[in-house]
Formats: sequence, C-alpha cells, structure tokens
Amino acid sequence: MTLPTDIGKDCARAWEAMPWSLQNSASHEQDEWLTQHLSQCEACRGEFEQQSRLRLAISLPSDIPVDADAGLRRLLARIDAPDTHAAHSRARTSWVTRALVAAVLVQAIGIGVLGARLWSENQADYRTLSQAAAPLPAGAIHVVPDDTMKLADWNSLLHTLHLQVVNGPNDVGAYTVVASGSSAMPRDTLQKLRTTHGIRLAEPVASAP
Amino acid sequence: MNEADIDADATDRMLLQRMSAGDRAALAVLYRSYHGRLCRFLSRLTRRPDVIEEVINDCFWIAWQKAGTFHGDSRVSTWIIGIAYRCGLKALRQHGDEPVEEDMQEDRFPAHCPDEDRELRDWLAKGLSRLSADQRVVVELVYGLGHTLDDVAVIMQCPVGTVKARLFHARVKLRNTLPALAGEPPIRKESMS
Ligand SMILES: [Zn+2]
Repeated sequence: MTLPTDIGKDCARAWEAMPWSLQNSASHEQDEWLTQHLSQCEACRGEFEQQSRLRLAISLPSDIPVDADAGLRRLLARIDAPDTHAAHSRARTSWVTRALVAAVLVQAIGIGVLGARLWSENQADYRTLSQAAAPLPAGAIHVVPDDTMKLADWNSLLHTLHLQVVNGPNDVGAYTVVASGSSAMPRDTLQKLRTTHGIRLAEPVASAP
Repeated sequence: MNEADIDADATDRMLLQRMSAGDRAALAVLYRSYHGRLCRFLSRLTRRPDVIEEVINDCFWIAWQKAGTFHGDSRVSTWIIGIAYRCGLKALRQHGDEPVEEDMQEDRFPAHCPDEDRELRDWLAKGLSRLSADQRVVVELVYGLGHTLDDVAVIMQCPVGTVKARLFHARVKLRNTLPALAGEPPIRKESMS
C-alpha cells in the first residue's frame, strides 16, 4: 500500500487521521496535531475540505423512498403469520416433542372431560397403559393455543399466570394446565387466558376425571 | 463512544431485552429508530426500494429471533448493521448485483430536495460510482454512520487490515474522481478546516 507520491511522512499521518477527526472519535491530541498540520500544508487542507464535504454528502438522508410504517406492518404480519420461515418449523418440532412427552404423562394422570369433540377418545389408548389414574387438581383448565402461537409466547404465558402443563396436547391441540407449585388457581386465570392473544379456547375441566 | 452513543446503546439494549420476551412494541421502536440509517446504508448496495425494505425486514426478523442471544460484545448498532450487511449481500446474490451508478443521473431526486443537497448528492454519486460495493460500504460505515475501524471489521467480518485497505483505496479513488471544489467554499465547513 503506497500513498500518493507527493506527500511526506506528516502528510501520511494527516491523511490517516482525517476520518477519525471528522467523526469526532480522535483524541484531543490527535485533533490538535492535525489542525496544526493543516494550518501549514495546503495539500492536506484541500484533502481535508474534500473529506469534510464527503462526510456532509454521505450524511444526507437516503433519497430512495422506503416507507417505514408499511415495512413495519409487513414485518409484524410476517412474525405473526404461520409457515413463513424455518424458525417456525423449529417451533413446531418442539411442539411435537412436547406432544410426545405429554403422551407419556397421560399414563400417570387422568384426563379431564372437555366435551366429546375437544378431548378426543383417542387418548384412551394411552390410558389403558396407566395404572390407577390420579385425579386432576381442582381448577384445572383445558387450553387450546392457536396454531401460530410461538412456543416462547406460550411458555411466557404459562410463566406469567403461574401455570404448568400436566397433559396434552390431544389431537385437537388442547392442553391441561394447573396452577404451578402448591398454590390454588386464582379465579381470574380463566378470564386472563380467554383474553390472551393466541389462545383460541380456555375451558374449566369438569370435576370428575 | 461519546455520551450520546452510550445512552443510545443502553436504550437499544433495553429494547432488545424486551424483544426477547416477545414485546412487539419494543420491536417497533427499534425498527423505526434504525430505519433511516439502514435505508441509507443499504442504498450503497442497491437502489431498489423493494429490495431495501426486504433486507431491513430480514434483518429485523433475525434481530427478533436472536434478541435473547445478544450478549453485548459490541454495540447494538454494530450488531444490527452487521446483520443488515449480511442480509444485504444475500439479497444482492438473489436479485443480481445492481450497481449504484446506473441511474444516478436520472430524475430520482424528490422535488423538495434543495438545490444545494442535489448538487452534493450528484457530487457524491459521481465518486461512489467508481468504488466497489465493499468500498462504498466502508465509506458509508466510517463517514456516514461514524463507526470505528474495529466496528467495521466486526460488521464486515474481516480483519481490521482489510478494512484499512478498503478505506485507503476508496479514498484514493474518490480523490482522483471527485472534482475539486471549483473555487466554491466548502459547505458548512468543519471547525478544523
Ligand atoms: Zn500535509
């Protein structure tokens, strides 16, 4: 890398220092030194003027019309839309894993009743493997999240409402949730679930397992 | 990094943290705050508004997915611009490399654009048209966005020496291409000239 031939050692140093002085990231000493050099070197003064102009020109806002609001709307739609990206299929995989884990859980825990269509009898297949079915805690809720709900959002919802999944999803995507820990389910949990974006349905489990 | 940069970075970090918890409002704030910068940065790679929007949205899609993995080894702005750069290169491969200079002299400047700005834009366009895409990116990052050599190396994922060389060659080309100031006083001269 060679500098243009007409400049000496100080000029080379000045040349290197210019962009950083222009963007105010040079030290005070470097600034001082450059100012001093410029005051006695016409060539570098010319170069520095051109550099200043370059900085000014390049700082002008883009002249290409790109609508931020429209772009943001499309981005949010993309984030909320199903099947758009690989990230979504990753989330799906996790849901499948969850379903497999849940199938094992069913062996130990009885299933609440949520109406014939919602809580399909198919799951009885698993139940036949179980020993004595344990009763569900009082206040258990069946929840059907929307297909597009992200696993992270689902997890954060469970965390916020202090819920844990004890069962599901069944073949219509319903989970059984109960209050986590030993706490009782607060009365407004059902209402909160129903008003959460991405929750299609939340129903209390009938008391008899 | 001056105080304003530190404040801005603290705000950006807070927004990323909220995004990692699924907060769409935080995403919207960050998106708007970077939109202008990214538009100009990407305009050094392509002149197509549809491609620019696509790249910005790809960039924020990734930022949304990865917000929780940002550990603050760099400024948030360096991280985001780096993602945008990689998305931009990918888009160029997909859409074909459209050089900046093609329609430079066409009537694309908004009517409200002051004459002085227009003259400055023409002058800049003339200079940038001689640079490679990588050189234009380095020039934008240093002179436009105010990044240091180290930042640029992180954004472009290359050694600092490579950045130095790109900047050097870009400056030599600009010096040889750009007309002298033709007697006119430099506009809004910096304090040091
Ligand atoms: Zn000199």
